[in-house]
Amino acid sequence: MAKPERQLAMVMDLNKCIGCQTCTIACKRLWTRDEGMEYQWWNSVNTQPGRGTPRDWESMGGGFREGKARPGRMPTAKDFGEAWNFNHEEVFFGGKGDKVHLEVKGEKPDWGPNWDEDQGAGEYPNAYYFYLPRICNHCTHPACLEACPRKAIEKREQDGVVLINEDRCRGYRFCMEACPYKKIYFNHSKSVSQKCIFCFPRVEQGVANACARQCPGRVRFVGYRDDKEAPIWKLVDKWKVAIPLHPEYGTEPNVFYVPPIAPPRFDENGNADMSKPRIPDEYLASLFGPKVFEALATLKEEMAKARAGEKSELMDLLIAYRWNEMFGGLDRDPATIEWVET
Amino acid sequence: MKANYVSGGRAASMLDPDGAAWKDARSETISMIGTPLGLQPTEAIRASWSDKSIGAVSKVSVAALHDGKQLAFRLEWDSPTENREIGDTTAFPDAASVALPARKDAPLITMGMPGSAVNAWYWRADDEGKARQVVAEGLGTSRTVDTNLVAGRGVWKEGRWAVVLSRALRVASDEPVAQLAPGEKAAFAVAVWEGSRGERGGIKAFSQNWRELTLQPLPTKGNS
Ligand code: SF4
Ligand code: SF4
Repeated sequence: MAKPERQLAMVMDLNKCIGCQTCTIACKRLWTRDEGMEYQWWNSVNTQPGRGTPRDWESMGGGFREGKARPGRMPTAKDFGEAWNFNHEEVFFGGKGDKVHLEVKGEKPDWGPNWDEDQGAGEYPNAYYFYLPRICNHCTHPACLEACPRKAIEKREQDGVVLINEDRCRGYRFCMEACPYKKIYFNHSKSVSQKCIFCFPRVEQGVANACARQCPGRVRFVGYRDDKEAPIWKLVDKWKVAIPLHPEYGTEPNVFYVPPIAPPRFDENGNADMSKPRIPDEYLASLFGPKVFEALATLKEEMAKARAGEKSELMDLLIAYRWNEMFGGLDRDPATIEWVET
Repeated sequence: MKANYVSGGRAASMLDPDGAAWKDARSETISMIGTPLGLQPTEAIRASWSDKSIGAVSKVSVAALHDGKQLAFRLEWDSPTENREIGDTTAFPDAASVALPARKDAPLITMGMPGSAVNAWYWRADDEGKARQVVAEGLGTSRTVDTNLVAGRGVWKEGRWAVVLSRALRVASDEPVAQLAPGEKAAFAVAVWEGSRGERGGIKAFSQNWRELTLQPLPTKGNS
């Protein structure tokens, strides 16, 4: 694999994600509506702490340890959460709307994507949770690509986007075992593996990813890693407040997260207890590694500055006053393009 | 091994694993071994299979027939479950293939090498009736070159697969595929994947070495 000339990247600000799943649906409507893709969520948003999607993906291995491939486990269809069929007909058209309620047809599921939504952890009044949106990380050291015996996965030279060539893929799913983020899905009708394509047909036309453009929370920044004028480089390299999820997996993700800072804890008397954070430091470090402390310190410092009325480039960037400045120039309106479905 | 010549109705039944043509065809039992771990093409595969055994099927009974136009192989082996459907992400289909060297010097263990291809006829239980012709020039290079020249049919009964793979002796193809003729000698090898054990790709049982295959000459006139 040659090193790509440029690398597209995304930064997601976890302090702004409201868990609305608009990104998830934007992606679903655009890319995963065909047969065999019903259960695929190339973009997923889960509540943390939680078991995630697929269920318990963080305990499935894969990726690298000390530079060596680490064996990975295959998530089952149940772990992903199967696509459910609902009794829409009965409820809406069967004349029984006052007697029946909307429910899953057939066997009642005991798991699904986003099953543990808003459960989080901790005890009232100091319970905590936050939302973690995930896509394929278009890794610099992609475990999926390296695991494939058929060289069916490529990392594009021009932008580092990782794509599965469905003509070469024979559905062996070694990539699904190897990806430590479990962001590859198996298409049961086409017998090939499929995953997030970083909206490359849009990006090639100067249009940012659907999940990013549609996000009402202004959570997602998009752009090239090396563009020093744009937010990605500033957040990742200059301010170092955006860091990858599970850096210890060794794949060098190109999706970065601004870690969450929760409101203060309360003590027994109902007063703010600033002695320790609501979201335990160890928990954040278990997700983002030790660099999270540096990032949190910078964020708090700059927040304090802004609060004191001083200028903070970082806070201005994160607030994202003008939403289309979040996309490193990939700000073309998709409505100005005539798209053809192939 | 010999591929005897059959004609008429018996030739017509050659594509059916239960066909009359196979009733008195001489079969040979070939012992199989798993592909070596060190030759698996990626580190991730080597890491995940280092503590698992490769090559669940230890013997395959093989017979071959030709009718002057088509060459057919019939493979039969024990497989406790019929793995046809990929019902879950963790399920894999059973599969079988017959490999033939496109050039005499093609090494089997590495599935050919650049410039010296191995040609494989490949059947997979989830793709019944849609066998593929594959060409490989080294580990991890196999590619499907056509899906209409090779016929494959599998029948699973009482814990045993019987699969027939057949192709025209000579085919018009720009790809390095084996070209065969009655009366000539060829070579072949077989491979079997046990889906219930997660076997797929290079994780398979294979017959170790090329075996000689003699295609019976066509009968001379008046002697059929
Ligand atoms: S997140 Fe997984 S699927 Fe995406 S590039 Fe990295 S290893 Fe591959
Ligand atoms: S990333 Fe944006 S669109 Fe997605 S759940 Fe969070 S706020 Fe909603």
